Amino acid sequence: MSTAARAARAAGRGLVANYSVFVALVAYELISRSGLVSPRLIPSLVVIAEQLWRYTLNGDLPYHAGISLYRAFAGFLLAAVVGVAFGAAMARSRWVEALFEPIFSFGYPIPKISLYPIFIFVFGLGTGSKVALVFLECLYPIAIHAAAGMRATDRVLIWAAENMGASRTQLFFRVMVPAALPTLFTGLRIALPVALIVTLLTEIIGESRGLGYFITFASASFEYARAMAAFVIVAVIGFALDRGVVALRRRIVFWQKDTPPIA
Amino acid sequence: MARPPRWTGAIVPLLLLALWELSARRGAAPEYLPAPSVILAQMGAMLASGELLLHAAVSVYRALSAFAIGALCGAAVGLAAGTLGAVERFYEPIISLTYPVPKVAALPIVFAWFGLGDISKIVIITISVFYPVYIAAFFGAKATSRVHIWAARNMGAGGWQIFRRIVMPSALPQLFNGLRVGLALSFIVMFVAELIAAQRGLGYLIAFAEEQTRFDIMYVAIATIGIIGFGADRLLLAVRRRALKGQLLATAEAR
Repeated sequence: MSTAARAARAAGRGLVANYSVFVALVAYELISRSGLVSPRLIPSLVVIAEQLWRYTLNGDLPYHAGISLYRAFAGFLLAAVVGVAFGAAMARSRWVEALFEPIFSFGYPIPKISLYPIFIFVFGLGTGSKVALVFLECLYPIAIHAAAGMRATDRVLIWAAENMGASRTQLFFRVMVPAALPTLFTGLRIALPVALIVTLLTEIIGESRGLGYFITFASASFEYARAMAAFVIVAVIGFALDRGVVALRRRIVFWQKDTPPIA
Repeated sequence: MARPPRWTGAIVPLLLLALWELSARRGAAPEYLPAPSVILAQMGAMLASGELLLHAAVSVYRALSAFAIGALCGAAVGLAAGTLGAVERFYEPIISLTYPVPKVAALPIVFAWFGLGDISKIVIITISVFYPVYIAAFFGAKATSRVHIWAARNMGAGGWQIFRRIVMPSALPQLFNGLRVGLALSFIVMFVAELIAAQRGLGYLIAFAEEQTRFDIMYVAIATIGIIGFGADRLLLAVRRRALKGQLLATAEAR
């Protein structure tokens, strides 16, 4: 069988396996063209693709996407550093645990985004308040999972390391962090999409830059095709981040089996 | 080393509160930090006038009705996809493609489609709740032990019986994890949707207070959202403990 034929068969199999995606797209296009709804409200995929092409080429979408990504990652990385430090301290010291553990476990189910209007007053409407809220929202899952992972470190491993004369830093980086890695990774995996969601939501609430703003502004100008083009970028970013985390997980905690996103 | 007593956990929050109260009273705190006693008094006044309860009721109605719809759909479709091959082949490609997409970014578009009223808020919350519940139900049903199903089939159980007696109970713990994630999401999305466009509800109350720069009212609304979110989560955990009675025996929670 020639390469072309093989590629065609593989493509055909992919088409059959994912037939529902195409059914959904075709259904959407039919609704858009049926004349029953305003084509402005539910624009054709062709129009959305045109807008996507235009605003990607003129640099608008990449610019706003870059700003949203910068905010999401700044808050996420800050939360990762502080969260792992807090988690480690709570796992190592009973007093730190007794002092701070309730704050994390009681604060977890509280929707922290409701503090955003206050954050605007404290950090301003721009990047500061967004990064701060992303940090706060991401801190909880990361700290809780870091603490749980390190607390579960096998005592024998710690004793062995201490016996062999490991320093405190060595003990931390060589024993506790690797032992906690699978659980810690679960926390990071929960936090990353949260970072993106919080960034977009706060940009929808109020801002003049970022993808959330772009979508809001386009909708407010009744340019729904343009808003959807921006949403396509949001979707691609979300999808790529998820794939990236899964790939990273396979590399870093390769000894763990893949788990579903909610376990 | 002695184990610190349980009340140690209250030290840090109480210290912060005391510091906040003192500095606000002496006028040292910035304008956006009114004294906790002032906030508490305002909360009492708004509770007495019924205003707070009205806004809270509207918010809870929106969040919980949408949560119920999203959770029911998510659980039904997820369990069906986890047990029936045809359903899985239809839904899995769509869901695994759209699951990592932050769907809340479509909020302005949903407002354009369904108007600024309750429907658009319920639609967007329903979508947000559907995904985690679906994923949990799907993987929960998928993880059912084959041996249990074979044994039941051997003993003459029908398809429905196997579903009710074996697949459902074994998917339930994971399903509750999905419900918990969905519940938290429903309050977040509810708040943002109300902040952007509403005439009533706690999110609206915050937007209103912001316009009037009444920070005390803002904190009342924030605290109420926090209390409701926390209470709903505890309620779900209590239901879970009842529903999973006997299944949690070996876990830390049962102790």
